Amino acid sequence: MLENLLRIYDKGKTFMSVDMTRYSRQILFSPIGTAGQEKLQKSRVAIVGLGALGTALANHMARAGVGYLRLIDRDFVEASNLQRQMLYDEADAEAQLPKATAAADKLRAINSSVTLDPHVTDLTWRNAEELLTGVDLILDGTDNFDVRYLINDISVKHSVPWVYGGAVSARGMTFTIRPGITPCLRCLFPHPPAPGVSETCDTAGVIGPIVQVVAAYQATEAFKLLVGATDHLETRLRHFELWMNHDTAMEVSGHRREDCPACVERRFEYLDPEDKQAKEVSLCGRETVQITPPDPDQIDLDHLEKRLQTVAKVERNPFMLRVQLDAHRLVIFPDGRILVQGTSEIPLAKSIVARYIGV
Amino acid sequence: MIKLQTKVKVLCFAGLGEAIGKCVEIPVDSEISVSELRERLISTYPEHERSIRSCMIAVNHEYVTQETAIKTGDQIALIPPVSGG
Repeated sequence: MLENLLRIYDKGKTFMSVDMTRYSRQILFSPIGTAGQEKLQKSRVAIVGLGALGTALANHMARAGVGYLRLIDRDFVEASNLQRQMLYDEADAEAQLPKATAAADKLRAINSSVTLDPHVTDLTWRNAEELLTGVDLILDGTDNFDVRYLINDISVKHSVPWVYGGAVSARGMTFTIRPGITPCLRCLFPHPPAPGVSETCDTAGVIGPIVQVVAAYQATEAFKLLVGATDHLETRLRHFELWMNHDTAMEVSGHRREDCPACVERRFEYLDPEDKQAKEVSLCGRETVQITPPDPDQIDLDHLEKRLQTVAKVERNPFMLRVQLDAHRLVIFPDGRILVQGTSEIPLAKSIVARYIGV
Repeated sequence: MIKLQTKVKVLCFAGLGEAIGKCVEIPVDSEISVSELRERLISTYPEHERSIRSCMIAVNHEYVTQETAIKTGDQIALIPPVSGG
């Protein structure tokens, strides 16, 4: 064993710069072995969403020695995240750090040899092609179907596999998508659930263990894909109900939907939407509306900070501009995204943004 | 082929199961396809139409096409997507 490890040390600069003893137990696992470890270290993975699933996935990937991790999240750490989002602590919540930044800091301390590429941004059709290509795999840590369908479009268009995962309450679901080989997400679920239909973590709650179960399956599928063990990939959609002691699996291989808009007709409705105007979303259960203006990168935080100082209490850090109004608060990010806190009413939020930001 | 007035048992997962029951029986009077069963479920539980439309329907633990005919004794499952993360 020691000889093997020394041999790895001698194999080349990119591989031997890492202290291999840390991976010794993973290399002893024969389906990975030295060859698999080398593949992991040359792999590039994007993780979308760094909430409960995303932080668990990022933890597995970084500890396993995946060479490059792109971390994408639009949110910042809150106290209510700490019960299940394993990379964050009280100080992160206190400082309201962006999740991508806070996660990258923790992962750097866990494994300094991993290249971490955090992006504090909302994944949309505008930036998805840039953020989700140039990787071997996309892992789903998101909490909504609009963005999952966007990931699915990129996956099909650019032939990048991805692993869907969802968790809410004590229930979870996961499924591995290999474009052109397995059905895609829109084969199984052609349309997103209508607004208010799906349970969310803010409405139905969630317990930490289901997150770890789903993330464990997703991460194992990721390892199989990255080391090329495709024969062992799960071809079933897995469903877990931890509290009710029930789990099940549905065989889905070989059943691409004949009229699937994405993987059969190659119409990428989420990547190339008909309506390219400003987009507003009410963030369920959080009394917050997110608004992405039509030209988000045109926003100038310095200018806004100066202008708003005269009418409101303004706080600024490198990641956001916070504007405390009477009953509401605006949080404006450098990428142009605006959170209106204190309301779930989109028209009111738009009106506030129009009055204070002018879009 | 389902004979006249037989019933199809449908297992409902997740929040849908909590709303309409974990196992519901839908009477059918002739051979029925997966997509027809979905419409039958919607007409039985119209208040849950949006939820039923979002579900994947599996027959005998397998995802099948919408045209697949349901046979007597088939185990049907109605599975909503899980969204949170």
